[in-house]
Amino acid sequence: MTDYLLSMMLFAPLVGAVIALFMTGDKLKYARWVALVFSAIPLGISLLLLATFNSDGPFSSSFAWIETASLKIQYLLYIDGLSMVMVLLTTLLVFLVVLFSWEEKERPNFFFALILGMQTGLLGVFMAADYFLFFIFWEVALIPMYFLINLWGGPRRHYAAIKFFIYTHVSSLVMLIGIFALAFQAANIEGWTQLSFAFADISNVMFASGFQVLVFGLLFFGFAVKMPVVPFHTWLPDAHVEAPTAGSVLLAGVMLKMGSYGIIRICLDVLPDGAVAWQIPMIVIALVAIVYGALACIAQRDLKKMVAFSSISHMGMVLLGIATLSDIGIAAGAFQMFAHGLITAVLFMVCGIVGHNVGTRQIPLLGGLAEKMPNYAAFMMFGFMASLGLPGLVGFVAEFNILAAFYNWGNAEGMAWVIIIGLASLLLTAGYYLWAMQRSIFGPVTDKVDVSKVHDVSVYEGVSLAVLCGLIALFGIWPAFAWDLIFPVAEGLAAVWGVI
Amino acid sequence: MTLPDFTLIAPQIIVLLAALLVPGLHILTRNDKLVGMVSIAAIVAAGLYLGWMILEGVEGSFLGVYAVDAFSLLLTGLFLMVALLVLLASLNSVERDRHHGEYYALILAATAGMMFVACAQDLIGIFVGVELTSISSYALVAFRKNDPRAAEAAVKYLVIGGLSTALTLYGFSLLYGVTQSTNLAEIALAIGAAPSAALYVSMALIIAGLGFKITTVPFHMWAPDVYEGATAPVATFLAVGSKKMGFVALFKIFLVGFIAAQATVVSDMQYLFAVLAAITMTVGNVVALSQTNMKRLLAYSSIAQAGYLMMVLAIATEFAVIGGLFHMITHVFMKGGAFIIVAALCYLSMGEKLSDYKGLAKRAPVLAFSMLIFLFALAGIPPLAGFVSKFVLFSSAVGSPGAEMAGQWIWLVFIAVINSAISLYYYARVVKFMYVDEGESEERITVPMPFMAAIGICLVAVIAIGLYPEPVIKLCEAAAAALLG
Repeated sequence: MTDYLLSMMLFAPLVGAVIALFMTGDKLKYARWVALVFSAIPLGISLLLLATFNSDGPFSSSFAWIETASLKIQYLLYIDGLSMVMVLLTTLLVFLVVLFSWEEKERPNFFFALILGMQTGLLGVFMAADYFLFFIFWEVALIPMYFLINLWGGPRRHYAAIKFFIYTHVSSLVMLIGIFALAFQAANIEGWTQLSFAFADISNVMFASGFQVLVFGLLFFGFAVKMPVVPFHTWLPDAHVEAPTAGSVLLAGVMLKMGSYGIIRICLDVLPDGAVAWQIPMIVIALVAIVYGALACIAQRDLKKMVAFSSISHMGMVLLGIATLSDIGIAAGAFQMFAHGLITAVLFMVCGIVGHNVGTRQIPLLGGLAEKMPNYAAFMMFGFMASLGLPGLVGFVAEFNILAAFYNWGNAEGMAWVIIIGLASLLLTAGYYLWAMQRSIFGPVTDKVDVSKVHDVSVYEGVSLAVLCGLIALFGIWPAFAWDLIFPVAEGLAAVWGVI
Repeated sequence: MTLPDFTLIAPQIIVLLAALLVPGLHILTRNDKLVGMVSIAAIVAAGLYLGWMILEGVEGSFLGVYAVDAFSLLLTGLFLMVALLVLLASLNSVERDRHHGEYYALILAATAGMMFVACAQDLIGIFVGVELTSISSYALVAFRKNDPRAAEAAVKYLVIGGLSTALTLYGFSLLYGVTQSTNLAEIALAIGAAPSAALYVSMALIIAGLGFKITTVPFHMWAPDVYEGATAPVATFLAVGSKKMGFVALFKIFLVGFIAAQATVVSDMQYLFAVLAAITMTVGNVVALSQTNMKRLLAYSSIAQAGYLMMVLAIATEFAVIGGLFHMITHVFMKGGAFIIVAALCYLSMGEKLSDYKGLAKRAPVLAFSMLIFLFALAGIPPLAGFVSKFVLFSSAVGSPGAEMAGQWIWLVFIAVINSAISLYYYARVVKFMYVDEGESEERITVPMPFMAAIGICLVAVIAIGLYPEPVIKLCEAAAAALLG
């Protein structure tokens, strides 16, 4: 039964995408209904899976696909606690994004088809248990985003779209070489005459240390560009600033997580010795990303660009957690992926609304919006507070545990002082959010742009935002709901290094 | 005296007979459409007979010159497919021209030449096949002899082609001198025994001669000019057909020799091919970036694809041959499909400039979508056919299943991968023109049926092979095993 449920969840959006494409002419207005229905199906299935996870999970499904004398490639799907959380995040965000974009006027059929098509790619990445399949979905997720930016984006959309495409494509090809190396070396060590790409086959192989370090580098590069971490981040601000709101939400909310998910799922699992060798570089990169992202935020004038840079900072946090190579750190990193997904969706929706309703996102031009758009201001404040790690909200749980794990690591290494860098970044984060908020929604009403006719958040936008804010609070108060799913996976991974 | 078993080369005979019949038929009936249909019928008949041979698992040798095995059957089938696509694209393209009989006869003769090369197990057999195809294609390029562009392209192609033939033949004669045989298997044995300076010279001459056919840098200059000047269906034929024939000839001469012989000449040649492959793919892709004419863009992309295929000659393992054959098959459909769309738009007088493709998605959604699929497949985006074949081909540079991982060609796979990323840029640019930019006209375009049939075949193949590559990979495995004995 779950065999079919998993595949249904994976391909329902793709079917919806094809149907939505055919909604032309008079039927154009039904495209959004198609999108709603076909994004509700995976959401429903993922909730069902969640409900039965404790009794029936983890879920898996396998079919033979390509079986020849030299190749063995299977259609393998697998959902453990970590995948479950990411799948939930994806299905939820896509559904809400469809709702948020309900009033899209320009070529809605194509627009919704792309969003649905992307969902299949994203879900596939989180569910695949075969490298070949994983890579296919990894690339499939990329193409709709290219079109979303290119067709519905801002003034510099062509540049941003192609930059995004090339950056992420190059990185995934480097990752592909890493995958080749893994598969051949595994076949070589185990004496297989058939090249197998299944996660389960390859993760049982004991690779030599030197090989692990090399391949870890290749795979890590592929994932790090996607996350993205400094210095491979430059595509992100461009892509975000130019992308339409729906694109930004999915890009930051889900797509960036593909990178960190890959590090946990593949790098840590298959190459434990490589991870140890790369631990210090990863921590350095993470800290640089955290601090650089936060500093860059302070300097931004465009609200959306600020949020984009804050993503770099927060994804640095994810990497920091993972790089501690401890169960708490990895679990907290994964939890931060989930938390950041929810929070950043709110932030980008907020940016989208101000850009659309007021006509500009330039912070210096805004001011006193709370008076004109009280509901909007409330959502914005909530999102900003969640993102800066206010206790009681979901971001706090994640960051607290990451920093705790980081402190543990520092303490064990005899340099407990490094925690100061992490804490300082929290201060910077609080600083730029509060400052941006103060300038844009508080104070006297701006006279630089005409805000006399500005209307508040629409019903569809409001519903999406309210659901997200509710979840941010829910998981902040009761993090165990997601934590209990993630932690066993992290524990299983960290057991290799014998930490704690 | 017993007669040789002519049924072994029946597909070739069918095609040749049709080539002889078609001009006479045209003189008698003066029916342009009829000769086209007869040609297609001949190709289909040959294909059906070939299908029967594959199902029956026919094997054998015709006079020791032509071998029938899994390899030759697969390649013969592929060349028939190329001919079918080209003929379908030709039906409308040449309807305003004269000399239909000759046109179709030339295409059929050229196809027969390629099919002979696929079977050849002897230098003479290879040479005759290559020449039959080459001479037919010189005339095909010059088909619109009153068009100055076509005339220029034909002269260029003829002169360069003649030179390359001379080089090849000289190389063959030296090879014969060194090894005392024209039979490939015997040559392989002889190479292992005695590497000599003359052998190196002959190999260099053969690489240069056939390098023209497969558009290896630095022998690639003619390709963009000729593709641009020739009619689009003929360009399709050159890019996806005769280029593959060059590869088949090289595979036969070098791989059969390489794998059998374990001499120093082997590794020297491998490095030469690796360097040529790296240069070819890089030049092709980088120059393609700045092209504004669609045919030239596809020509350079074709040069780049030749670079990928040359990796097979460098790596020279059975797994690489599987990847190479697989990529040749998918390339026929991807590049063929793209060229046929260009042919269809030329037929509708849409122009060949990239800027003429602006707003195509609104004017011809099906055509634009097909083009998108072909271009993304060429760039190696999953889950399309081009991705799977590149996956196998590139992975063969890293290792072979079951063999010790050498790591010798890792640098080559890095170059290939970077090239793949570069190519995405110019393919995406075409997509941008079609989907993002607004065209001057919103008028809908309808494309004649034969074009749509050819494009449909390619589209289905590109998607189906991408989703379910197993049967094709199995065919390639059998073919590679047959080639390398």
